[in-house]
Amino acid sequence: MSLHIVVCVKQVPVSNNLKIDPITKNMMRSSEPGIMNPFDQNALEAALKLKERFDAKVTLLSMGPKNFEITLRQGLAMGADDAILLSSRGFGGADTLATGYVLSQAIKAIQNVNLVFFGRQSIDADTGQVGPIVAELLGWPQVTYISQINSIDEKSIEAVRLMEHMQQSIKVKLPAVFTVRSELNVPRYPSPRSIMLSYQKEIKVWDEHSFELDLNRIGIQGSPTVVRKVWNPTKVDKETELLGEDPESAARKLLQVLRARDII
Amino acid sequence: MSVTLKEHQQMLHQMVVEFSRKEIKPLDMLIDKQKGYPKALWDKIVETGFLGLIVPKSFGGADFDPIAEAQTIFDIASNNASVAFTLEGHYKTVDQLKKYGKETLKNKYLPQANKRIFGFGSTEPQGGSNVMGHTASAVKEGDYWILNGNKTMITNGGLAEVYLVLLKTSENELTCFLVDKDMPGFKYGKQEDFFGMRGTPVGEIFLENVKVTDDYMVGKIGDGIRIGDNAHYDARINMGAIAAGICQHALDIVLDYATERKALNKPIIDLFSIQNKITEIAIAKETTQLLYEEAAKLKSQDKPYDKVSTMAKSYGSRAAFSACDHALQVLGGYGYSNEYPVEHLLRDARALQIAEGSLEKMVIEISKSVQSERV
Amino acid sequence: MKKVDCMTHKNIWIVAEHHQDIIQPVTKQLITKANQIKDDKKVTVILFQTKEQKLEQQLLNYGPDEIITVCDDRLKEAPDSLIADLLSQLNHKFQPNSILFGATVIGRSISARLQAKLLTGLTADCLDLKFEENLLIQIKPSYGDNIMCEIVCPNNYPQMATVRPNVFMATEIQNKETKVVIMNDMNFKEDKRITVYEEIPLLSKSDSIANADRVIALGRGMSGEEHINKASRLATKLGAKIGVTRPLTDLPSFSVDDQIGQSGSSIAPKLLITLGVHGAVQFTTGITKSKYIVAINNNPKAPIFDIADYGFVGDAKSFVEALLKLIQ
Repeated sequence: MSLHIVVCVKQVPVSNNLKIDPITKNMMRSSEPGIMNPFDQNALEAALKLKERFDAKVTLLSMGPKNFEITLRQGLAMGADDAILLSSRGFGGADTLATGYVLSQAIKAIQNVNLVFFGRQSIDADTGQVGPIVAELLGWPQVTYISQINSIDEKSIEAVRLMEHMQQSIKVKLPAVFTVRSELNVPRYPSPRSIMLSYQKEIKVWDEHSFELDLNRIGIQGSPTVVRKVWNPTKVDKETELLGEDPESAARKLLQVLRARDII
Repeated sequence: MSVTLKEHQQMLHQMVVEFSRKEIKPLDMLIDKQKGYPKALWDKIVETGFLGLIVPKSFGGADFDPIAEAQTIFDIASNNASVAFTLEGHYKTVDQLKKYGKETLKNKYLPQANKRIFGFGSTEPQGGSNVMGHTASAVKEGDYWILNGNKTMITNGGLAEVYLVLLKTSENELTCFLVDKDMPGFKYGKQEDFFGMRGTPVGEIFLENVKVTDDYMVGKIGDGIRIGDNAHYDARINMGAIAAGICQHALDIVLDYATERKALNKPIIDLFSIQNKITEIAIAKETTQLLYEEAAKLKSQDKPYDKVSTMAKSYGSRAAFSACDHALQVLGGYGYSNEYPVEHLLRDARALQIAEGSLEKMVIEISKSVQSERV
Repeated sequence: MKKVDCMTHKNIWIVAEHHQDIIQPVTKQLITKANQIKDDKKVTVILFQTKEQKLEQQLLNYGPDEIITVCDDRLKEAPDSLIADLLSQLNHKFQPNSILFGATVIGRSISARLQAKLLTGLTADCLDLKFEENLLIQIKPSYGDNIMCEIVCPNNYPQMATVRPNVFMATEIQNKETKVVIMNDMNFKEDKRITVYEEIPLLSKSDSIANADRVIALGRGMSGEEHINKASRLATKLGAKIGVTRPLTDLPSFSVDDQIGQSGSSIAPKLLITLGVHGAVQFTTGITKSKYIVAINNNPKAPIFDIADYGFVGDAKSFVEALLKLIQ
């Protein structure tokens, strides 16, 4: 059985203190060091585990600026076979819909893809939308928030979806789109050899002319949502009552206050 | 750091730092108390591919350079010195096989270096530095060499399965051979019970009429001293890295402690006496790092690195011990306690003045080196 | 499709979420908020349920103008794509102005799928919503740093947004008429490629902090196994749940489910005690609805003190020990 798995990954900043461009109101992706979005690492690990068990090819796919190459290199070091970076000025400023459109068109261009993995959300934007958008645009079933993959044969996968109040056991026929939770696995460390060999693997760079795209649906023009205003909210400073000078008297005062307010 | 890491070295560095922080650091004190590595940790280290760091790509390894190797040792040693010491012992042995082994031997054993630990047997019960006083021997009988003797104080002895050993092939010649624990006549001997570096096994092996072919000779007849010396020079780069790593570890502990601990309502880091000690520890780490990095750079450029690497160990071993002593003093009663990590750092650091050539031997070598430069 | 003032697009839809026959708090919270901002629009709840469930009863006290319900047993264990498709049919028929979902696993999964079907905009995790005539203003914080954004979808209907539980408060309304409409002729495009064959209810931790009455939040100042254990003992004694800031989710005892703040849960307890928490904006956006906030931190300048009712400037670990001694 030959599977071709695409793992969509995103580079996120190491720290969460980002700057907003005051004119475009978009996040300024600077040359700050980035890491692969942690949930995308879980997604890649899941794909690599399938690659180990079956005869599968794992391709990384990412939309972003040139400096996303470092994250793709990390993914290759973990064991992916090759990588495609969708990079162009024209893709910039995209909201989730435009991003999902570009990714889904790229997946169509790769052809013969059986399975697409996403992390459940990125830790910078936190929307969790792009996976389901891609699934819808490809016309494939989706299973989101996966915490376990139980079995797979050449045509279908059984997985567990973990929600707040319950878990669902789901069986889905390929091709399909999966988004995964951190409970699914522990991402492997890239071995030193794998890191060295990753430099022999290819990172292709595609722009908006490399594959079929309706240019009205990419970038800013393809984004129905627009940031129209940004501001610093004024802080309302509360008057904090200090409980005491040392831990013991502060603790005593706290209990007093809580009893007085009927909290305990 | 005085080196600008290239992208692949940076990626390795990132992985090693994360691995050390997550997998090794939490077990640091346990490794010392239990005198050994928990199996799960060691399995993970092997599985992640650390053993193959300098094995060439064509033999299934990662083929990293001396700078990346030293950086890796430093990053690990900053979390636990024993693991770093074990890897150092392995790498220096693999390095000599790479440099001096015949193709047939390399084809057979370099791939194994990715999974089995190697050790270097030089010291004997009656002496360490005086190699010509050794008695372990290799005698040619027909097509075979018959190997006899015992080697002690081997880093990783007991855990390592493949050994490079220095044997007398004649009264005036020392020759290097490779032996495998699976060879008939090979026996493990006693394990040392050391004061520090307690995670690293150190032990002896016995060779009783072990038979090997010419292929198992590493280098030529009489190359033993040269190979032994080279092993030391290679090792000392990493010993410098271990020393700097121990200083880094001590610095981290001291900074955490001094920012939290209060005296007269102020954190003790505000006190000059504490700042003084922090400075000493920081300078110790920085200087040692500069030395071993310089040695690694020279090695990468195929330039002579013996003097600088020996200096890295000579200086670093003393600087690390002194740094740990300062750290212990900062933590006071807690520093002296078995329940805090500082005291074992001091014990680990002390080993560096002995292993891979005693301080005294360093003095002789360095002064000889410096004199020969004048000529 | 530019926005015009027209007779269509006057409905604010809330897609109801329910588990084990109970309507989720986030649905009620959204109804209340929608009622507050609707102006001349109508608040409609879209309710998918099986034939014997009568869940609309639970919604009446929150005063939506209307409930549109689809009652069909095929809705039991329905996959996301089926719900998204039914919503798409309803959207086509009724042309709502906006569709709001709870930012939950199911809310996010369905809303995004629907967004792609309808080729419109969806803003996740809004902290506030308001209208300017027909335009829905979606307000959310942006990527750390003290910045808020207004996001709009000026050229497409429906305008879609998700909101996390406990960002808004639900209030019951007395004496409000709610019209209930039962949709009978929906087209159930069952997708044979996907089957949900089992559902197991869980008592999960994330549910606990979002709905807990008392919460103890641990920050960097409390990391260390020994201190976490002490804090857990304190929590047990006070009948509180433990939540953490993002850095602690890396520790083995915690996960993203225990995280409080912008990327974690919003909580609204009666009592919140923060231990060693600095009070960065990514954290505080998750706790603003707490009744009483008690902050313990070594640093008198920590921003947590700007929003705390009570505070102690000192070592959180010593405070916990002192408090534990007193409660024994």
